[in-house]
Amino acid sequence: MIFMELRSVLGGRRSIRFFDPDRPVERAKIQRILEAMRIASCAVNAHWLRAVVVNRAEIPAATLEALKTPVAGLVQELAPVHIYCYLDAGVVTRMKGARLKELVDVGALNPTHGWSHRFVDEFVYPQILEPMTKSPGYLVSSAFDCGGAGTQGLLVAVDEGLGACWTAFNPVPAKELLGIPDDWVPLYCLNLGYSLESKEAGGQRPRPAFEELYFEGRVGKPFARDPEVVSELEKTGMLQTPAPLPGRREEVRALARRLALPE
Amino acid sequence: MELDRALEAYASVASWRAGLQEQWGGDPLAEDPHRLESLAGFCAYTGLDPDALVAFCFLRKRETKERFVSVARRAELAAKLAAWVAERALPARESRQLSADVLSFLIHNGVMMNAGVARGSAGGQPA
Repeated sequence: MIFMELRSVLGGRRSIRFFDPDRPVERAKIQRILEAMRIASCAVNAHWLRAVVVNRAEIPAATLEALKTPVAGLVQELAPVHIYCYLDAGVVTRMKGARLKELVDVGALNPTHGWSHRFVDEFVYPQILEPMTKSPGYLVSSAFDCGGAGTQGLLVAVDEGLGACWTAFNPVPAKELLGIPDDWVPLYCLNLGYSLESKEAGGQRPRPAFEELYFEGRVGKPFARDPEVVSELEKTGMLQTPAPLPGRREEVRALARRLALPE
Repeated sequence: MELDRALEAYASVASWRAGLQEQWGGDPLAEDPHRLESLAGFCAYTGLDPDALVAFCFLRKRETKERFVSVARRAELAAKLAAWVAERALPARESRQLSADVLSFLIHNGVMMNAGVARGSAGGQPA
């Protein structure tokens, strides 16, 4: 049963672009989203993700305009809550392996797998982690972790009955508005609010073919997709009717008119 | 400003019509005449015909002559639209609708513009 709930959350998630601009989001729901981000899997227990929650109504009008990007401006304008996500690039060199040693202390990393405090102090930090922070791929790998944490928050937002949509934002006004430290790298903003769209929001979005994305053993040999598994996932709500659902155009048009938006 | 032909004879208006038909079906320009009236009003305000309004938003790169939407021009036009709408001193919802009509024309001609939001009316009935 628990799988069914998880699967329906995964399957029911949509990038929502029409929010009720005037309906606030309960603070407890926002906290649950942040709690989900915090417990995400994370390489070397570094926890690069930082998030700043802002009520859109509290952003000065000129700053909100400046934060908007050409393709996401309306989403930013409609969503009552913005969670600005950043990558704290300095966390590894500040921690110097301390969080890894916490994992040793609690029995998550053990001598069975080669771990000890001394191993962290004499090998992992000086020979792997510290050099890693100077490598060109550092921000890519740490951004991967931030994406995982952010996605956990996104899924809890869906579970809480909220609409959500990641968007880019203009980092210059955001830095000033939010007091962002110099070594934080801007990622994305999680826009939150109550959706004005139907639960299906037009259906599950088009995705590339399964076989185009995933391989078995070697690139070029697609991972064979079992129709029985597909059928089971359809029954449990993870795979849903693909877009466009009948009536989607009418739904969008009604929303455009309700909010006086361009058609 | 006097247009040299009927509004609907401009290529950009034909593009708008085609875009609306493709998106929503029917003939929205014929069904909702206020759209053309709004555009005509903005043309008169700016002194530009519909094709010139669209052309104003595009520039060409010096080296490659590639056409691109100018951020500065787009912002300038958005400011003019806001000023024109404000000058009309209409009720809030009518102002937003006026703006949305012109934005729709620009969007269907490839000029992405951000709309404002009808805050306070989200719980109301569709217009």
